[in-house]
Amino acid sequence: MNGLKADTGKHTLLFIDDDPVFLEAQKAFFSARGYTVLTAGGTDAALELLREETPDLILVDLMMEHTDSGFRLARRIRREERFRGTPLVMLSGVASETGIGFAREREALREWSHLDDFLDKPVSAHRLLAVVRERLGGPDEPAGGR
Amino acid sequence: MAARILVVDDEPGILSGVCEILTLEGYEVDTADCGRRAQELLSLGSYDVALIDYRLPDVDGLTLLRSIRQRCPEVMTCMITAYANIETAVFATRQGVDVFLPKPFSPDDLLGAVDTLLGYKKLRDEAGELRAAHAASLRELASEKSQTHSLVASLRDGVLAVNREGEIVLANRAMEEMLGAAAGDLLGRQVGPALAGGVLAPAVAALDPQNPAPAVFEAERGEQRLFVTASGFYDDEGALLGRIVTAVDISSVRRMALEKARFTRTLVHELRAPLGALKSIVEVMRDRSLGDDLGSYLSFLDRADERIDGLGELISDLLSLSRIEHEGAPRQPDAPADTPTVVGEVVELWRDRAAARSVGIEVDLAPELPPCTIPADDLRTLLTNLVGNAVKYNRASGSVTVQAVRSGEGLEIAVRDTGIGIEPGNLPRLGEEFFREKRTETRGVEGNGLGLAIVKRLVERAGGRLAVRSSPGEGSEFRVIFPC
Repeated sequence: MNGLKADTGKHTLLFIDDDPVFLEAQKAFFSARGYTVLTAGGTDAALELLREETPDLILVDLMMEHTDSGFRLARRIRREERFRGTPLVMLSGVASETGIGFAREREALREWSHLDDFLDKPVSAHRLLAVVRERLGGPDEPAGGR
Repeated sequence: MAARILVVDDEPGILSGVCEILTLEGYEVDTADCGRRAQELLSLGSYDVALIDYRLPDVDGLTLLRSIRQRCPEVMTCMITAYANIETAVFATRQGVDVFLPKPFSPDDLLGAVDTLLGYKKLRDEAGELRAAHAASLRELASEKSQTHSLVASLRDGVLAVNREGEIVLANRAMEEMLGAAAGDLLGRQVGPALAGGVLAPAVAALDPQNPAPAVFEAERGEQRLFVTASGFYDDEGALLGRIVTAVDISSVRRMALEKARFTRTLVHELRAPLGALKSIVEVMRDRSLGDDLGSYLSFLDRADERIDGLGELISDLLSLSRIEHEGAPRQPDAPADTPTVVGEVVELWRDRAAARSVGIEVDLAPELPPCTIPADDLRTLLTNLVGNAVKYNRASGSVTVQAVRSGEGLEIAVRDTGIGIEPGNLPRLGEEFFREKRTETRGVEGNGLGLAIVKRLVERAGGRLAVRSSPGEGSEFRVIFPC
């Protein structure tokens, strides 16, 4: 593994998404940078996994079993004392899919769901990396990536 | 046509003289020497004028006159008498005689009297015609009015008319319902207070007699969506008579638009998801996250390949749906599809993929099948989807059976599997575009949720039906039934 890629510290990330390809790709990308990557394909799998694990950052997709599964899951995670301070990032294609003013409601939703960030899908791995580093600290990616 | 004149007199001299004078003038003349003969002639033909002597051998002239008045009111009458005095004249006139001719009279007196009578008759006939025409037009008007009234009353669109004073002068039943008013309740009320606070309140400003600007807006009433227009109506000279409001229920149009929007939204999601996955694969490879050995990325490339195939299928399915929608009625096949041939083709298409999962496909066709009423292409599309589902949602080492029989209804083709089945609660949603069961067992099964929507439409537009039976964990049975 390329040592230059590895970030300082061994942070654990949890990706929750119903697309297995997306999960695998993120796992490959972030593992290459020294992160420990956990993945869950849905709400139940995520809750099951969180019984044992305490990731440092959680990225959750909005639309899974239902159109708002991500919100419900985020609320449930937040209710647990253990995850009060864990950064929670929501990925959704809602704003660009519906064209409605989801962005305007962002602050209200963030407040309601205690989410730390919203990212519109499709999202690049480098954009995700920037968000992860912003939340967890770590060296900036060199300009232009690798 | 010459006027017809009846002369009634018992003096042969007068009778022939009068007859001669009138005939010379071009009139058509009949004569009678007594009342009885006059009655006979009157019952046989029609006359314009009757000249009657006051004194007749059988009846007196006045009795004959009264009888003519009653039986032939169209005949103008003239009384001839030698006893010319004012009393007789007045009496005869009271009896309804039109002209009085005293004896002795000159030919000019006679012709003058006949001329006067014919003039009266012409006037009377014209007046009668006018009266008849007037009555007919009144009848027509009344029937038109009642037709218009029942027409407006039975319109499904709401109609409300307001006069220049702002009073409601017409509100049909549909409008009363839209406004939640009892029948006849709105009539005569001022439009402002009548509509205030209701669904048509925005129309009030447009109904202001001082403000002739037309208004168009949409209003919501519970589930109902109304399209409302308010505009003036004018007489032929362009003077404002009042204003009229129409409200059309556009709920179904609205529902269709919402469904279309929902479809598009889902479609965008379905198109974007594989693109996102492909993009993340490209990123991983460009990043060389798994190192420089290309072999490490093979499983990613396989996934990319699957997603590209999936996108291709999605596009084909969208085209099928659009084609079915566009064509509307089923095409009449040139030749009916040969069911055994199509079943064979479809099974061959899936045989390898089924074998890869150790799923066997059995075919069971009755020897004498009724002809299939849909084109071969449609049957192929339909069976490809059903057999594909039976393979994809099967368990390993399961089986698929395709059976075709003649049933009471017609041709019945059943596709059965030993797969994961369908949750009973989801059965009604099968055939809904993009609907897919989200269960642990369906994860990893490729599909876009359009297959059954296509099957359902193909079957239904051919007048057939789709019947589904399923029990979770045991398997499903899809039957398509085409009437013969």
